[in-house]
Amino acid sequence: MDMMWLFKDPILLAAAAATWIPFLATAAILIFTRKNVRLSCGISLGAVSISLLCALFLLISLRHAPGPLEYKTAWLVTKDIYIPFGYLLDPLSLLMLLIVATISFLVQVYSLGYMSGDPGITRYYAFQSLFAWAMMTMVVAPGMMQLYIFWELVGLASYLLIGYYYEKYSASQAGKKAFVMTRLGDIGFFLGLVTLLLGYGNLGILDINQAAQAHQIPQYLITISALLIFCGVIGKSAQFPLMTWLPDAMEGPTPVSALLHSATMVAAGVYMFSRIFPFFSASPDAMAIALAIGTITMLLSSTMAMATYDLKQVWAYSTISQLGFMVMALGAGGYFAGVFHLTTHAGFKALLFLCSGIFIHEYHSNDMRVIGQAGGRKQRIPMVCMTVGALALAGVFPLSGFFSKEAIMGILAGNTNKFWLLAGLFGAFLTAYYSFRLIFFILFPREVAKEHGHEAHGAHGAGHGHDDSAHGGHGEHGGHRGYVYWTMAVAVIFLAGVTVVLGFFQSSLEKFLVPHAPVVQAAAGHEGGHGAGHLVVLVAAISMGLFGILLAWFEFGRKGAKQEGFLRKWPRVEALFANRWYMDDILRKLLDSVVYAGFTSVFTRNDRRVIDGGLDGFCRFTVGSGRVASFLQSGMLQYNLVVMVAAVGLVLLYFVTR
Amino acid sequence: MTLGGIFSIESAAQAMFWVVVGLTLAGAVIAVFPRIILYNVLGLALALTGVAGIYLFLGSAFIALMQLLIYVGAICIAIVFAIMLSRPLHLDLPKRQLPKVAMALGSSFLFLAATLAVAVKTPWKEAAERSTDWSVTAIGHLLLTRYGLVFEVISLVLLVAIIGAILTAGYSRRLTS
Amino acid sequence: MNSLVSYLFIAGVLFSLGLAGVLQRRNLIAMLISIELMLNGANVNFMAFNRFLTPEPAVGQVITLFVMGIAAAEAAIGLSIILALFRRLQSVNIERAQQLKG
Repeated sequence: MDMMWLFKDPILLAAAAATWIPFLATAAILIFTRKNVRLSCGISLGAVSISLLCALFLLISLRHAPGPLEYKTAWLVTKDIYIPFGYLLDPLSLLMLLIVATISFLVQVYSLGYMSGDPGITRYYAFQSLFAWAMMTMVVAPGMMQLYIFWELVGLASYLLIGYYYEKYSASQAGKKAFVMTRLGDIGFFLGLVTLLLGYGNLGILDINQAAQAHQIPQYLITISALLIFCGVIGKSAQFPLMTWLPDAMEGPTPVSALLHSATMVAAGVYMFSRIFPFFSASPDAMAIALAIGTITMLLSSTMAMATYDLKQVWAYSTISQLGFMVMALGAGGYFAGVFHLTTHAGFKALLFLCSGIFIHEYHSNDMRVIGQAGGRKQRIPMVCMTVGALALAGVFPLSGFFSKEAIMGILAGNTNKFWLLAGLFGAFLTAYYSFRLIFFILFPREVAKEHGHEAHGAHGAGHGHDDSAHGGHGEHGGHRGYVYWTMAVAVIFLAGVTVVLGFFQSSLEKFLVPHAPVVQAAAGHEGGHGAGHLVVLVAAISMGLFGILLAWFEFGRKGAKQEGFLRKWPRVEALFANRWYMDDILRKLLDSVVYAGFTSVFTRNDRRVIDGGLDGFCRFTVGSGRVASFLQSGMLQYNLVVMVAAVGLVLLYFVTR
Repeated sequence: MTLGGIFSIESAAQAMFWVVVGLTLAGAVIAVFPRIILYNVLGLALALTGVAGIYLFLGSAFIALMQLLIYVGAICIAIVFAIMLSRPLHLDLPKRQLPKVAMALGSSFLFLAATLAVAVKTPWKEAAERSTDWSVTAIGHLLLTRYGLVFEVISLVLLVAIIGAILTAGYSRRLTS
Repeated sequence: MNSLVSYLFIAGVLFSLGLAGVLQRRNLIAMLISIELMLNGANVNFMAFNRFLTPEPAVGQVITLFVMGIAAAEAAIGLSIILALFRRLQSVNIERAQQLKG
């Protein structure tokens, strides 16, 4: 096997190593080292560190590259169709590669502490490596087909990791729901790809971007395939109406939620959107629909976050809402704004989840009131880092979230219809409100409300917060200063630091991302403006965020606050939000009445009556005709003889008269 | 010499021939159609005697006498014995079924028509040289030289038949008694 | 008397009458009788050919003799079979013997 060409080119080697070494890790763990916990963790961690180093190497080597670097081989070539496989290394994919590698690495380090003592930990690390492989190969795909294949593999990793606690019924159901719902979106995605393939013949990303901008593809084709491909975004990035799988996906372990369902996998939809942004932006209809769906998603999920007491659920709804923001930005034409928000969101959302994970690991409960009452605020490192993350989420200066939110607001302001801007501002208000509601629940707990079935926790009270041995928790803690705590703390501290400084790199990132896509620059012309209109928007956004925080403080934070939201005044509305706007119920009714009663029953009846009935009828016919034919075997000798004689006579006559 | 100038020897023989044939066929009909079994046996005897007469007309007195000896003298008597042993006269006569009769007559008529068509249509050719030796000596000579093997085999067959008949009749008797 | 075809005709009629008896009669002994008729029809055929066509007249007679011998053997066996069957079925009706009915 002459593979020397692989080793001669360091860029190609780095790209191949970054994407394929995690696959080797998965295979090794699943086949060989299932029993050996240390070896499996070591293999997986080693693989992802190599990927991280390769990603860094690639970014540094190619940061001044004049254009995108592509390595590809033709996988399927006919007269009309060209499907490539390989690596596309341009600023967007390099940035995404770095994000995925960094967060995977941090989460795997964190998992050493969080998942220690769990019996299936080797399986967990195998699937983490599987995810890393799938996501990274997807990110550097030069063609839509490779992107689609690894998109599906990422969905598989998500299913496996959500259903990690497979003995728990709700967890396995959640895994199934996630997979099926995203698959539903992916049907549209695939149809879009097929349409594009049949209509245009080439699925290479650079090619279709260029062709769309140069008007070489007919407009209707662009619109139709863009809309269908957007279905994939709806599914994977939990947009309306396929969004209820994401809150259920919180059944998985918290590091999984941090990695997949906040920072990377759900961002894959947004990534794909920005990957073919020139293609998309050639169809204004598709962009308008994307903008509308993003807005609806953002508002809906923000309302849902206001009514829940589960820590992870709040962050899940928040993720959906922020993804809605990203889709809004991209739909309004803001390429850099969307990508920048994706980057910062990856940082602070993973931070929030990991901090929540520390709390959950400590107090064995997802309920924010229970954590608060059990003395959560005394855990200084996670508390501080979570507050930093919440401030970033709410868009407070000088954290990274502020800069990216401002960029989005600027784009929305540039749109002629101001409704989107107002929606965005309202969304910012809600975001600040619900995130600080959570923070204040934990920071300033009340001794009331012990009736949530957690009497054991309530009885401990604030004083017993540190000593956990009475809980009989999993793994040996050795107090709070063991390796379990420090692996988690280190990841969290690093992410907090990134969140603090990332905002100031906005302009260098913009220079990095945008000049290499001249077509993108033309489409994203709005974001340059720093005029007076922009200042109004800036002030409005900041004040919205502060207002949300103040309202939360008033209702939950200050002394004497009842810790009931303003929603309590309208219990019906609160119920609506808490039940996810009854979307799950509607879907269930739809499934039962349309799919099961309609299609499934038709097919079942067809199977039973027509196919089975046909076969049975055939058998019955055979048996029946046998019964009829058996009358010939009457056992009566003379009848047989009659036939014989007549036959001989006839034959003789025939030959004689011929 | 002619009798009254009307009949000659030749025509008398011809008339006799047709009488014999008539008897044969009458006997055959009696052997097949009536339902009382004794009539059938008697009809058989008549038919076989008629056939012996036909053999006479066909030039072989020896075979005619053999026919009388074997068929009428032995086989018909054996059949009468069997009738008496099985006493079918005391059993009920089942009703005659018309479809069955029709089918039987129809198919045998068909066969008859076919056979006759073959007989009529075939150009029968005489052999080139015909000898005229009709004596019994010639038969005996052939039996013991050219057809010696067949002769021995048929005696074997008769032996086996006798043994078989004894066994069959006796075995079943042992079973039922 | 002097044509082959008339003898063939007679033989054919004899044979067909015997055939009709075999196909129609339910009594086993009657079937045996009919079979004897058929054999005789065949014999008459042989003798007719012997008289009109063959080079050696003795050969036809030898054939006829052998057929008669076989007919005798067959009648003997047939009668003993009928007897055995009669003991089994308590009847000589052939329609009682239908154990091969499918």
